[in-house]
Amino acid sequence: MNRYKLRKSVSYIIITISSLIMFVPFLSTVFNSLKNYAQYTAVPPKWIPNPVQWSNYSEVWKLGPFGQYTMNSAIVTVLSVIGALISCSMVAYAFARIEFPFRNSLFMVVLGTMMIPPVVLIIPQFVIFKNLSMLDTLTPLWLLEWLAQPFGIFLMRQAFLAIPKDYEESAKLDGCNPFQIYWRIFMPMCKPTFATLAVFTFMTKWNEILSPAIFLTSKENFTLPIGILSLGGQYNGSEQYVVAAAMLSLVPILLVFLFAEKYFVQGSNSAGIK
Amino acid sequence: MGNTELAHTEVKNVVRKRRKKLNSDGKWGLVMVAPYLVHFVVFVLGSLLASLYFSFSEYDILNPPKWTGLENYTKLFNEEIFWKALGNTLYFAVLFVPLQTIFALILATALNQKLRGLKLFRLAHFLPVISSWTVILYVSDAFFNTRFGLANDFLNRMGLEPQTWLQDPHLVIPLLVLIAVWKGIGYIMVIFLAGLQNVPSDVYEAAEIDGAGTFRKFMNITVPLISGTTFLVVVLSTISTFQAFEQIYVMTGGAQDATAAGGPNNSSLVLMIYLYREGFSFLRMGYASAIAWVLFVLLFILTIVQVTLQKKWVHYE
Repeated sequence: MNRYKLRKSVSYIIITISSLIMFVPFLSTVFNSLKNYAQYTAVPPKWIPNPVQWSNYSEVWKLGPFGQYTMNSAIVTVLSVIGALISCSMVAYAFARIEFPFRNSLFMVVLGTMMIPPVVLIIPQFVIFKNLSMLDTLTPLWLLEWLAQPFGIFLMRQAFLAIPKDYEESAKLDGCNPFQIYWRIFMPMCKPTFATLAVFTFMTKWNEILSPAIFLTSKENFTLPIGILSLGGQYNGSEQYVVAAAMLSLVPILLVFLFAEKYFVQGSNSAGIK
Repeated sequence: MGNTELAHTEVKNVVRKRRKKLNSDGKWGLVMVAPYLVHFVVFVLGSLLASLYFSFSEYDILNPPKWTGLENYTKLFNEEIFWKALGNTLYFAVLFVPLQTIFALILATALNQKLRGLKLFRLAHFLPVISSWTVILYVSDAFFNTRFGLANDFLNRMGLEPQTWLQDPHLVIPLLVLIAVWKGIGYIMVIFLAGLQNVPSDVYEAAEIDGAGTFRKFMNITVPLISGTTFLVVVLSTISTFQAFEQIYVMTGGAQDATAAGGPNNSSLVLMIYLYREGFSFLRMGYASAIAWVLFVLLFILTIVQVTLQKKWVHYE
């Protein structure tokens, strides 16, 4: 029993230290975002801001097009989440529940494409979007999500496969076509999987840097992660506002995490299973 | 009409109805997978072929691609900076993958029991995971800013020489690795936790009766029984590490000045940054496509090697 207690205490110590290593840097950054310029650049650094400059957080909105960046990120993220939910679930339903020609070979293709590193596809996709005159618009950032990404298909298919056959048989007797069965019966039954996919798409899109860095050129079209970077070093004395901007950009994803933690965890596990 | 004949037509009708039903179902199936078909044909298969073609051409996007055969590849292999980028990529991966895997497994083992405050611990470890690299840039700046960061303040107080951290050619990759491990560890930890929950507890109980200590149990039970998950984590993080872009681009100031990415003086230049610079800064799309294919082939070989080696150390029940 003693040994058991020892093990528990050691675990507590390890996890507490590690949690502090994770958390303290964020705390320092929040502190930085509340300093005035003199404190922010003080040598030696002062850890805790004094006085606390709450106005940094209102200054952010006057700092270039920060509001526009937030709007752009929101548009990209919301459209991506909706697109991913609709397209992945629809495609996954067909793979899980409908007999159609070449179904199994096509599903092997889905699994196979998961292995292709995105790096070989970036340049041709750039060329495609250039020919569609979509460069420097938000469209390339969300359009592909409407065309079903393999990870989402895989995730949703697993959920649909777990539903007993009786449900669709009785729906068929009532005269539903496959699309209606999917829309009215299967979708409502897989809400947790939808939540997982939504949360993951949200996180990926909200934080994405590579695609916006490639597809966007005008500042007013930037999304938050690259927009905030472009605010940095605009003029002397504004650094602490940029830190506040970065902290603000974390708020939506933090809220999503707090409300949907278990879906984050489920998603991480399915990412492992793939 | 005789009875048998009647039955016969009936069966025929049923069969026909079935077939019709199947056909209409099949039609629905094709309609419903259509989004993925478009995705695959245009954005995967088409892109893959185009990319291969570009890699054998000179292409600046403004003019149509001009076939140049193997020129991009021979140029690439004779370019000193390519070998530097390849070396940096390998260095990054060799440091990053084992460090992250080992620390994540230790943390998961510590977390895999009934503890109070579990939610808080998990939140702390997920905070870096859900942050964008932009957020991480300012978080790490609080420590590693060369002028007013806490790390140099600490060194000063200890009477040690202050460092230039991310601007130091020797420190930049180890430091980037450290920050990347710090950011990603919570995610890998959760994957390990799921694996650990599948290890039956009676194995541990049996070992305890035999008098095995915590460390021996970890080495002789946890490590072998979780090797399937470890394998997966290693393969997936190797693939993503070889394509690491965002972290280096952001942390070395690429967003403000594209030529700074991979700095200082190319000492953190990895293949993806090299590709980005050649393709999107200099518009050498053909050459950049050749880099992409070298990376692809490299990853393919690496994955095959890992899958082959797996038989030596992965334990399956």
